[in-house]
Amino acid sequence: MSELRAATLGYAVLAATAVAYLVVYTTNLGHLPTPFDYLSLLNTSLPLVFVAIGQSLVVLTGGIDLSVGGMVGLGVAIVAAGSTGGAAVTAGWMLAAVAAGALCGAVNGLIVAKGRIAPILTTLATLSVYSGLALKVLPVPGGKISPAVRSVLTDPDVPTGLIWLGAAVAGWLVLRRTRFGMRVYAVGSDETAARAVGVPTARVKVGVYSLSGLCSGLAAVFYVSTTTSGDPNAGDPFILTSIAAVVVGGIAFAGGRGSALGAVAGAFALTLVIDVLFFAGIDPLYQSLFQGLFLVVAVLLGSLSTLVRWRRS
Amino acid sequence: MRAAVKSLVDGPHRRVLYAFAAAATILLTGAVIHPGFGSWTSLRTMLVLASFIGFVGAGQMLVVLVGGIDLSMPWVLNGAAIVLTTSSLGQSGRLPLAIVLALGTGAAVGLCNGLGVAWLGVPAVVMTLGMNGVLQGLSLGLSKGLTCGSCASYAPEPLRRLVVGRIFGVPSELLLWAGVALFVTVLLTLTTFGRRVYAVGNNPRAAFLAGVGVRPVTVALYVLSGVFAALAGITLVAYGGQPSLGLGDPYLFESIAAVVVGGVSILGGRGHYAGVVAGSVTLVAIVTLLQAERVPEYGRDVIYGLVILAILFTYGRERADD
Repeated sequence: MSELRAATLGYAVLAATAVAYLVVYTTNLGHLPTPFDYLSLLNTSLPLVFVAIGQSLVVLTGGIDLSVGGMVGLGVAIVAAGSTGGAAVTAGWMLAAVAAGALCGAVNGLIVAKGRIAPILTTLATLSVYSGLALKVLPVPGGKISPAVRSVLTDPDVPTGLIWLGAAVAGWLVLRRTRFGMRVYAVGSDETAARAVGVPTARVKVGVYSLSGLCSGLAAVFYVSTTTSGDPNAGDPFILTSIAAVVVGGIAFAGGRGSALGAVAGAFALTLVIDVLFFAGIDPLYQSLFQGLFLVVAVLLGSLSTLVRWRRS
Repeated sequence: MRAAVKSLVDGPHRRVLYAFAAAATILLTGAVIHPGFGSWTSLRTMLVLASFIGFVGAGQMLVVLVGGIDLSMPWVLNGAAIVLTTSSLGQSGRLPLAIVLALGTGAAVGLCNGLGVAWLGVPAVVMTLGMNGVLQGLSLGLSKGLTCGSCASYAPEPLRRLVVGRIFGVPSELLLWAGVALFVTVLLTLTTFGRRVYAVGNNPRAAFLAGVGVRPVTVALYVLSGVFAALAGITLVAYGGQPSLGLGDPYLFESIAAVVVGGVSILGGRGHYAGVVAGSVTLVAIVTLLQAERVPEYGRDVIYGLVILAILFTYGRERADD
């Protein structure tokens, strides 16, 4: 129940965008969206869903991770550069990409926790480092992926993506209830108090940044699987969209309040908005105008509803 | 004498001193390993490139001082550059109007940011990120992806002369930067408004209780930030002749990096523009040196990040909690 309340804003925004999507789609094409439409929406959303879950964990501790762009880019580069062989080789490189993400994340966590450098500055600097490494691994866009791997991850005809989405959501629900999950909220609510009652705050921070890196690695795997090729700069848009998903999902920037499920809903809403604009016949050049307004309005609605609840009580 | 040195090293200007030391270290390293790096011609070019970072850094610093951040810089800069050329159409007579319109665009966006942050309580990251999207959409849409008829116009000649030309051998762009530095420094250190900025940055609640108008101060700072981003756009388009799409993209991270390398606390309340000037020079010197040494692009990115991390480790750390 508390999980549901924490993510209310995300669900409300997702529901509103879903209705808008159904309306503009049906009025444009004269029929309801087909299973194929839903499936392609799901598959294109998956990378952002993973990055958003990782970003949520970091934001819940009161931090921010700008280096997701570099870590996704590095993962995409590793998978694309290594996936010229068969399915087994590709799978191996995919694991390597996820491991590389987790390692990069651990470095972020160590610098933030042990180096005492503000998260926004740490990850700004490591963003540059990881983007550079991605360029080294894959200097020019390219690579392709074997259909066998693709059919397991994001089959364009069978909803295999649902399994992975389910796994991600289940993973969060379990993590939330572990000791580590509780400590994430404790550190985000009041770090000094958490330390005073014996929460190893440094270890928790290293943990969340590592998980954010791991999620970026997973996002890279799904990104290559849906787009079937790699670009070392592919991660850049995820910096801003993952923050937007977290914000729309109702997670407080000060930390300690919110749920990654809200961010998952936010990620789907952000992907849907692009389709809504497309079917509404809006010039793609104006796309970011509406995305920006969407972000600000969603947050305003969130703070208005908090205000109303606060006035009532 | 000893006391004076001690107060410099330990006092409130300690981080400014470190910022200048960092800039001097990079410049000296460059002069030693690359002949010609320290020549006046090379320094002049680096200073002109640093001035653009200095302008966006001025705006970013003002909002960082009250614990905010302005992520709308890239497209305010780009939008102002497009407004300037499309409204001036390359004609000298229309230049004053064009400059007013471009700076006005920056001020208007800054006003929206400030009102959203101060009155509606939207987190600064979200408000300015959203406005960046709005400006990007408007710039792309209204200029039809820079393919509109008047978009091919060049910046008017007097403006180009102002930025590229020289006065007594000094590039006039650098005199403009000196003017900005003077303005920001006087505003922050010699006026009541400046006192209020530091008060709000150190403790907004205490400042409010002491009678400081926290909201008007915050709004004013975001407006100034927008104006400085627009100024960077105007000078950049004068320097390059024509605007391009994505002109402002590098300047978001550069502005934040210049501010923190300049010793301004990202948590607000502490920092001086002199440090940001040193920070801007440091950033440009690193990139110039790496290019001069023919380091490939990936190596430049990696080393750039590592150098900034090293600088942060030297004087950008937060206090230990226990």
